[in-house]
Amino acid sequence: MANTSALLRYRDFAKTASALGWERPEAKFPALPVPGLNELLGQGLCRGAIAEVTGRRSSGRTSIALHILAQATAHGEICAVIDLYNNFHPASAQAAGVELDRIVWVGCRGNAEHAMRATDLLLHAGGFGVVLLDLCDAPARVLNRIPLSYWYRFRRTVEHTPAILLICADSAQAKSCSSNSIELKPKVFHWSGKAPFLLLRGMEATALLQRACGILNRAPQAPNALCARAAGASSVQVMV
Amino acid sequence: MLALAREFSPVVEQTSANTVVFPISALRTLIGSPYQIAAEICRLGQERKLDASLAIASYPDTAILLARHFSGVTLVSAGEEHLKLAPIPLQSLFAYDTTLDPALLEILHRWGLKTCEDLAGLPERGVAERLGQPGVYLRKLACGAIDRPLRVAAPATNYEERVELEHALDLLEPLLFLLGRTLGELCSRLRSQSRAARLLEARLDLENCTLCANSYRAQRLPNRLCANSYRAQRLPNRLCANPYCCELEFPVPLDQAQTILKLLQLHLERHPPEAPVIAFRLRVEPAEPRRIQGGMFLPPTPPADKLQVTLARIAAMVGRENTGTPMLLNTYRPDAFQMTGLHTDPRLPKEQPAGRETVRLAMRLFRPALEARIRLAGTAPKAVTAAGIKGTVLRCAGPWKTSGEWWASTAWAREEWDVALDDGGLYRIYCELPARAWYVHGVYD
Repeated sequence: MANTSALLRYRDFAKTASALGWERPEAKFPALPVPGLNELLGQGLCRGAIAEVTGRRSSGRTSIALHILAQATAHGEICAVIDLYNNFHPASAQAAGVELDRIVWVGCRGNAEHAMRATDLLLHAGGFGVVLLDLCDAPARVLNRIPLSYWYRFRRTVEHTPAILLICADSAQAKSCSSNSIELKPKVFHWSGKAPFLLLRGMEATALLQRACGILNRAPQAPNALCARAAGASSVQVMV
Repeated sequence: MLALAREFSPVVEQTSANTVVFPISALRTLIGSPYQIAAEICRLGQERKLDASLAIASYPDTAILLARHFSGVTLVSAGEEHLKLAPIPLQSLFAYDTTLDPALLEILHRWGLKTCEDLAGLPERGVAERLGQPGVYLRKLACGAIDRPLRVAAPATNYEERVELEHALDLLEPLLFLLGRTLGELCSRLRSQSRAARLLEARLDLENCTLCANSYRAQRLPNRLCANSYRAQRLPNRLCANPYCCELEFPVPLDQAQTILKLLQLHLERHPPEAPVIAFRLRVEPAEPRRIQGGMFLPPTPPADKLQVTLARIAAMVGRENTGTPMLLNTYRPDAFQMTGLHTDPRLPKEQPAGRETVRLAMRLFRPALEARIRLAGTAPKAVTAAGIKGTVLRCAGPWKTSGEWWASTAWAREEWDVALDDGGLYRIYCELPARAWYVHGVYD
């Protein structure tokens, strides 16, 4: 009986971190400002953490990832792109504002193990501002083979450093290890002119902030966290 | 003459092809008075059949002038230099120091000055007022009062080492141990000269081993260079005609033996020699080390040496062609770029240009482009089928006709379309001309 009451008392205390409004200690490094996503990210992306941009094909996830890279390289930072299927398009990146001479591009030709090991090596080398791990279009059977321990290892590697590990994928991979998670849903493609003289002008997507600096979208806003912000949705315009 | 001077002192200045200067102060305790030192130098000079003049003075410039002007042996006590230099014509001073303006000699001649004695007799202040700093220098030279440190000719440092082994090495680990020791010596030489290595050239002499000609066995055994070394030792002609050579060029000059060794190890693991190693030669090419002033407000950058090792590890894993910094080529050809090295110099943040807040639509390319089957409605695509892509075209824009480089093997001609499919994807497809073959080039994302 005593054990049962003790268990009940324990149940009252055993709330999840999200229910308690988990407060992170004050950020050691200033967040990376992302001007086009102010409504969504507030002060920017937290450093020393994992961020995720997810969505299906043509949802604008690569555009957002390149936009973040452009901000980082404009700040004079060195960034890395680990590209699982060699889909990185340098011309698009340059058009998005990425300074290509500040980028290390690693193409993995579809080998997920190589991609994870390359990410691990680059994160341990240190000094990178943003490390983009592009897992877009990877089939589930490939992603399911990635051990979860990799994400915990990456989280431990980047914390207390100014680096951001940005994961771009179809669905969330790092789960609880990520601090910022943006989910994109395509809304509409913008065309100008009339058929047959159409011209692609851009697209609009709904961005849902699933997680902001460790705050789940159902958690109350943490008052003392520097980057914490109530999660919500925003519309993102992506222009050609 | 230089060799003779080096027998008396390690500090030797070779002023010209036939003039050397060295200090004799340290020889006083060893040989004796200046007279005895001069006699000893003369004795050794006669033994080597050298026909030269010798002068001993307090300052190097004075000694050179005296040796050039007076034949035989000249000894000058301290404070009496101007007396010995007195008969030397002023032209000799200008011949000694070619940086002096010849117009100055003309002025001195117009003043009626012919010898060092004449110039030394002038007041220093008056010379300074009329001829400036060169005149003061010339007067001091004529008085024998210019002191300067010797410009020591340092022997050229050798950045090359060769090691010959008693037994051939067929394993990578012991070879790396020897390579590391040799690299350590080379790097310490580099550091002593404030230099760093820009390039490492390694030449491994291989044992003549006919059984090792097939390198596939060596590749299958990662740490074993040759599986048949014990048989190779029995062959009479030990050296293989084709040595193993490799050149590692570093984007940033390195002076740490550990880093260079790691890069060499990664290279040897990727391209193992085909036979056991019997000797090796390492040569580093010196360069100015990279010196960067760090800044409090500069963003951090990866340490250059650590980054090189990291990129070499990644290149060993995914291939060198898949690692690097992309650089766009100056052409309209689609997807034209080349891989280059990374510049890690710290850079100040740039001012945010206008339009930076706009998120630009990016494209993901399929490499190689996906072959597609297209159903057309007139000239416009109506349905697209490719690997992993299948859908009906909802809207399309095009065709955008591009072509170029018809004069080269990289010629292209295509009609491009932007198509929105009912699977929710927005693709760029193109029709390659003149074959009329359809491909999916990439997807807007």
